Amino acid sequence: MAIQSNDRLLATTMRHPAILRADVTQPFFIDLVSLTDEARRAFETNPRVLQIVADGLSVERYRQLLLELYHVVWHFNPTCAAAASRLGDEHAEIRYFLYDHMMEEKGHEEWVVNDLEVVGVGRQGVRQHRPSNALLALNGYNYWAADRRNPCSVLGMVYALEVIASVYGGPIAAAIKESLLLDDERGISFISSHVTMDAEHMAELRVVMNKVSDSGAKEAIIESTIFNFEHFTRLLEAI
Amino acid sequence: MSTGRVLPTAVDRPYKYLWLEWEPEFSVLTARICVKPIQCYSLAAMAELQQVFNDITANPGLVRHFVMASGVRDVFNFGGDLSLFVLLVRARDLDSLKLYARRCVDLVWWLENAAQIGVHTTALVQGDTLGGGLESALLHHNVIFERRAQAGYPEVLFNLFPGMGAWHLTVRKGGFAIANDMILSGQIYTAEQLHRAGLVDLVVEDGQGEAALEKVVRSAHPKLRGILAALQARRIAAPIAYESLQTVVEHWAVSALRLKDRDLRLMERLARAQVRKVGGAGEGAVEEIKKIELDTAWGFERTGLSEWSTLT
Repeated sequence: MAIQSNDRLLATTMRHPAILRADVTQPFFIDLVSLTDEARRAFETNPRVLQIVADGLSVERYRQLLLELYHVVWHFNPTCAAAASRLGDEHAEIRYFLYDHMMEEKGHEEWVVNDLEVVGVGRQGVRQHRPSNALLALNGYNYWAADRRNPCSVLGMVYALEVIASVYGGPIAAAIKESLLLDDERGISFISSHVTMDAEHMAELRVVMNKVSDSGAKEAIIESTIFNFEHFTRLLEAI
Repeated sequence: MSTGRVLPTAVDRPYKYLWLEWEPEFSVLTARICVKPIQCYSLAAMAELQQVFNDITANPGLVRHFVMASGVRDVFNFGGDLSLFVLLVRARDLDSLKLYARRCVDLVWWLENAAQIGVHTTALVQGDTLGGGLESALLHHNVIFERRAQAGYPEVLFNLFPGMGAWHLTVRKGGFAIANDMILSGQIYTAEQLHRAGLVDLVVEDGQGEAALEKVVRSAHPKLRGILAALQARRIAAPIAYESLQTVVEHWAVSALRLKDRDLRLMERLARAQVRKVGGAGEGAVEEIKKIELDTAWGFERTGLSEWSTLT
């Protein structure tokens, strides 16, 4: 059975363009980084993402981005909770990681609301915003994957979002700040603060990822990471 | 020398980041790397390059000359994948940094041993090259630069050092003083300066690189067995040990893990400068490095206010 599962893991990774081998003897985080590197670079090299990093955003598009991010943040904890409730006792450490993570992320949607107020969108505007189809697909997949695919898949969502925040958040925040002539961190507090905060989370996430040993969970995490990178890219394309 | 489009079956694979060209008269395989927006050694590009090397090794005598070139205008290669480094350093992931470094060393080692498997190698540098990009160029038996190309090891500017053979290769070709100066200063050098330092074998006018390459191959081919034997003897006279390369990259990985947030933000600044250049809105990473050099040398000392200070 173990061999079949490992074969499945390899089959999943081989479906994706990064033709790199999974090595079941090394820590899982290395495999995750290697096997999802193509998806990360596809995000990084997307023309819309490049344009944002190079030129920033107009105020209208930045509002759209924040309104979308509000729903990413707002659904982050319920998705983690759904996954935590379905994780078996053998994954107790992942459950505890998710509890801690949810505590830390709790209330961060208010940071987005504060930034929105700086750029002229009140709470009414936030309530009235209808998420894009890309975002509905992203959140829908993450709930479904936690519920039906494998609860460990939530770690793929966490990984992709933290890579986006900690690796690309800095340049994106700097570009937006320049393009909108914003002072200090006002208006970009959510993106800026997650650059360093999520760097801490990344280190914790690596530790918990390396405790994942079952191949089905690994396969689900890789799939979820690739899906989240791809659909976060669609989200940015839609604004 | 005409470049054929039909590759020998043994090396013909669908690559995403490599463009292979075949010249049948002298059995020249040219690999043009094309990684956008920042031309660098991404994991996937390295995996593809390793596959090319494996195919050459598995088919002795098929490829007699290997040429490394760039498929990206004005850039040869900017070396390591900076965003991957930022990711791994922020995750404090020593294992993955070592894995990346080991994959680099595997490529280094193949090029270092190319003469032993009967392959003569040339780097055709038609644009700027930094860090690992320069290391990879210096590994070739012949290094041709077009005049506009600039190169250097800027890693020290963000508190790192070039770890994939820079010391070994630069000392071997240019001597200890040159290596010391280049690696510890982080300075960018012109093609002419690198030629005078002995690191570049041939500097040609812009646009003349392909013609110079052809001359090098035509001249080397009739005496190839002798040249390859001499190059093997050169390795014995000035050896580079695999273990030594491995030890340095282990040290590199540990050093990378000590980078501070300021250093990582500087990496991001370089990456963003290059992205802006690709988008037609900026001067690129090399000009940004020059600004940082000036900033470090003058800005902070004179005013205490520099872009460095804003990075803290």
